[in-house]
Amino acid sequence: MASVSIENSVADAKQKRSRPSRLAPNYWPFVLPALLVVSAVIVFPWVFTLWMSVNSWTLGQPRTFIGFANYVRLAQDMRFWESLWHTATYTALSVVLPLFFGTLAALIFDAKFPFRGLLRGVFVMPMMATPVAVALVWTMMFHPQLGVLNYLLSFLGIGPQEWIYNQFTVIPSLVLVETWQWTPLVMLIVLGGLAAVPREPYESAEIDGANAWQKFRYLTMPMIAPFLMIAVIIRSIDAIKSFDIIYAMTQGGPGTASETINIYLYNTAFAYYDIGYGSAMAVVFFFIIIALSFVLLMVRQRANWSDMETK
Amino acid sequence: MATVNIQNIQKNYGAVKVIHGIDIDIADGEFVVLVGPSGCGKSTLLRMIAGLEEVSGGEIHIGSREVSNMPARDRDIAMVFQNYALYPHMTVADNMGFALKLKKVPAAEIQTKVKRAASILGLEALLDRYPKQLSGGQRQRVAMGRAIVRDPQVFLFDEPLSNLDAKLRVQMRGEIKTMHQRIGTTTVYVTHDQVEAMTMADKIVVLHGGFIEQIGAPLELYDRPANVFVAGFIGSPAMNFIDGRVEEGVFRTTRGLILPLPQAVAEKMGGRDLVYGIRPEHIRASTHGIEGRVTLVEGTGSEIFTRLDADGEDIACLFRERFDIRFGDTVFIEIDPSKVHLFDKQTGRRI
Repeated sequence: MASVSIENSVADAKQKRSRPSRLAPNYWPFVLPALLVVSAVIVFPWVFTLWMSVNSWTLGQPRTFIGFANYVRLAQDMRFWESLWHTATYTALSVVLPLFFGTLAALIFDAKFPFRGLLRGVFVMPMMATPVAVALVWTMMFHPQLGVLNYLLSFLGIGPQEWIYNQFTVIPSLVLVETWQWTPLVMLIVLGGLAAVPREPYESAEIDGANAWQKFRYLTMPMIAPFLMIAVIIRSIDAIKSFDIIYAMTQGGPGTASETINIYLYNTAFAYYDIGYGSAMAVVFFFIIIALSFVLLMVRQRANWSDMETK
Repeated sequence: MATVNIQNIQKNYGAVKVIHGIDIDIADGEFVVLVGPSGCGKSTLLRMIAGLEEVSGGEIHIGSREVSNMPARDRDIAMVFQNYALYPHMTVADNMGFALKLKKVPAAEIQTKVKRAASILGLEALLDRYPKQLSGGQRQRVAMGRAIVRDPQVFLFDEPLSNLDAKLRVQMRGEIKTMHQRIGTTTVYVTHDQVEAMTMADKIVVLHGGFIEQIGAPLELYDRPANVFVAGFIGSPAMNFIDGRVEEGVFRTTRGLILPLPQAVAEKMGGRDLVYGIRPEHIRASTHGIEGRVTLVEGTGSEIFTRLDADGEDIACLFRERFDIRFGDTVFIEIDPSKVHLFDKQTGRRI
């Protein structure tokens, strides 16, 4: 009797599995609201941007279809290549420096010492400030005559610097702000990683003959690598699309010395009202971000020892 | 290979003393098991030998070297941990070769040694896997392999089989013993399982509350336990202990049950309050003798474990024969007087 009922239930299950294709239309009302929202806020703007990028359209003038002319113009636009270089430099430095200092801070805060909790709280405070407020404060600090940074440098016998007002120091100065604000985020991520690292292998390593540096090099670093990769992904995506701090502090200047793709794109589309060309820039920028994300995810997968599935 | 000499070793955690001056001599190539209940200090002692715990007093010698304050990495020992402590981000081969890599041994030599250890432990097919891709038994083998490739002077095992299921535990027990017989390295093995201790050791050290209760060969501990603690700890099921007094050539329990004694002992011990010890497996079922009512029956196929209520005394018996006995039945048992152990009631020491 029992075996019969099991057979029946298996047959029922098979029937149920074959039904969804016929019943699927009935589910549409449930999916529709989400579909409408996604279409309105993601699909439509994206398709519209694609369409605009193959048109010549300056606000107030008629739109004309020009095919890939905007993309050809982009390839020949030195200002675009320059902004691409600025973006790459700014992104690389804004990832590497917070990663280095964040990891260092995490290793320090992972150790036990008095007032650790309090100091950790103080350390993460920059992360909580809004970018525009941060930009205003740092703009004042960077001021060549009135800024506190030059005042502090004078104690070290270093003459006044031009910081964001010099074409050669503007990007490092902006990166300094970015590092100051986002090092705590990396610290928190790595600190979480350090807490998740098993302690037993360290005793094994001690017996295997590892000194403190070798334990760090061969155990700590590889074991927190998945967490470092998460920090790299978050920082890379944040840094490459960074706009607010740069715009609020330099607006891409002096000249175009700190003009990243984002700033150039914004200026093209909303200052010069060249919507078609700006759209082409947005499309290219989009594919750059997709490529970067893909590479980072691939690297992350390789670094993730904790995801090794049982064969 | 080397001898290990532990002299008056002590361990304090603040004001709490957990090991009270222990002396153990371990011969070259010997397999010594430290056994005792949880909290007896056996793992702490092992970790002190390894150099993972500081020594509060006394000395540890490995071979001719005094290692008490030497870092673990300089002691030339290998340790297998209860939770394996493998490097999760390294493959089996890298795990096994890590110690050699730190010593800057050439890669080709590391590979040879790893392959040899892997063949001893049947790990050849798993060398490219990560610990997470292995079963508990395989991980345990990797931990052992990691120890073997080092070719250390002493192997230390800290409850290495505790995380395995019963069947695998028996299998791995055999493998560790075989490995020791093959390699012959001095081994110190910690366990709370007295069956592991009995089956594996050349010498057992029974620890209790940070003191050594007895050191000896497994059968010596079984046949001549030094005190009530060792008698109760070694042997499964545990020995029966019954309080009473030697009177008129027999042992009369506090509840009035009369138990047999060897004649010579009975004459010497007359009038003394003692603890009577008899192992469950040394009690025979009979058609006459001590009468008891069955309060528990556990049959395993090869033997029957029962508990009897004999004049209020609870007596555990282990019968190799098959009987049809059930709860509430009345049975008769006989005790072989030559197997009886007597202990002083005050000190618990063997008489």
